[in-house]
Amino acid sequence: MDIRKIKKLIEIVEESGIAELEIKEGEEFIRINRYSSAPVNYAPAPVAAQPVQITAAAVAVEEKITGHVVKSPMVGTFYRSASPGTKVFVEIGQSVMVGDTLCIIEAMKILNQIESDKSGVVTKVLVDNAEPVEYGQPLFIIE
Amino acid sequence: MLLTDKQKKILTLLADGEFHSGTVLAEIMGISRAAVCNHINHLSEVLGLSIAAVSGKGYRLDKSVELLVQEEIEMVLNERSKTLISQLEIHDQIDSTNRYLMEKTRHSAASGLVCFAEQQTAGKGRRGREWVSPFGSNIYLSIAWQFPQGGYAAIAGLSLAVGVAVIRALREQQLYDVGLKWPNDIMSQGRKLGGILIEVSGEVDGGCNVVIGIGLNLFLPENKAQNIAQAWTDITKITGQRPLRNALAGDLLNHLLPMIADFEERGLSAYLDEWRRYDCLKGQPALLFVGQKTIEGIVEGVNDDGLLLLKRNDGTVQAFASGEVSFSGASA
Repeated sequence: MDIRKIKKLIEIVEESGIAELEIKEGEEFIRINRYSSAPVNYAPAPVAAQPVQITAAAVAVEEKITGHVVKSPMVGTFYRSASPGTKVFVEIGQSVMVGDTLCIIEAMKILNQIESDKSGVVTKVLVDNAEPVEYGQPLFIIE
Repeated sequence: MLLTDKQKKILTLLADGEFHSGTVLAEIMGISRAAVCNHINHLSEVLGLSIAAVSGKGYRLDKSVELLVQEEIEMVLNERSKTLISQLEIHDQIDSTNRYLMEKTRHSAASGLVCFAEQQTAGKGRRGREWVSPFGSNIYLSIAWQFPQGGYAAIAGLSLAVGVAVIRALREQQLYDVGLKWPNDIMSQGRKLGGILIEVSGEVDGGCNVVIGIGLNLFLPENKAQNIAQAWTDITKITGQRPLRNALAGDLLNHLLPMIADFEERGLSAYLDEWRRYDCLKGQPALLFVGQKTIEGIVEGVNDDGLLLLKRNDGTVQAFASGEVSFSGASA
């Protein structure tokens, strides 16, 4: 595939905010993924003089991957309950099933119910109620 | 149903706002005068209607009421709209038309479900705010639609397009002094005339169920509106006369249903120019409340995705997807 074409496709993906694009054209095949769950490590090899720092980073990474991260599918405002004063959809420690409502994200006065795409226990709520969220921002961790 | 057939019939007889004697009502209904009296007491208690009883003259509604009637709405509908409706319901009283359709489509998604109510007991606005919904005077309408693909992102602009469709319907009724406040409040002379609330459930990346709720003030009695915190208006105040409810209900469907049905294909771009013409915030200084923050700026309009553009004091222009806009002195 033409390198210019690939560059253009990457630009399109960047601009549109979609997470992944897959195109098959005859024999050719390309997949562009902006939020890969297994990121390729381009970081330079660790320098021996900083062993402590490396260990700390490794632990942090390990902690992050133990749970399933539910990310915001859009830019908007994050709400934990249907309306102020009513019960939150999920508490920390609560078991959820696939399809259970986790939160509402409001964008342009559309109230989007965000459902869980994984069954498990909610171990972390990463955003405060009524705060703005960005596309792809982690909202919950489910284990 | 909240009202019995007899009660509904009495209400229809009284709807003209003229005096009707208890004796005549009893004769028409084939019931006793005492039973007429009981039914009328029920109507005023349950529906909050003010029905005067004057000895020697009879009963009279303080204001005439045009009840919503399915056949009369259908008479206004064009052929396209008729084919897009799978079910049309008119409720005498309901908690919330949006809640009702959200519940109804939770397990079996459907398109073209239309629900009107004469009265809502828990009419809702954004974030738990009450939408004041007295009996027989305004329009409370919800429409359910299933968007089979594209996910939540594909319908984001629907919010603004619904606003355009409502303005079109109002203009069809010769109401031109109306505009839009981002993203879709219906305004007239700086006061709120109508509100739109859209709720979406389903798969973020796939099929989703959408319920679009519209509350429009046609005639809002002052005594019911005491708790409304913001400046409001109704069509009767603007034009000096009560609008025809069934005709407006039909026009709303004529403009909303085709727009909704074609939205996945046409997108917001088909409605953006029109939205910008009706924008009553552009050029206004405004405050945007986002979470705990307040952002000050001049409204620059909307970008092609329908996001609010705000010019900050330092000259930069930022786009916002959510937040509450507060402004003063807009002219619609």
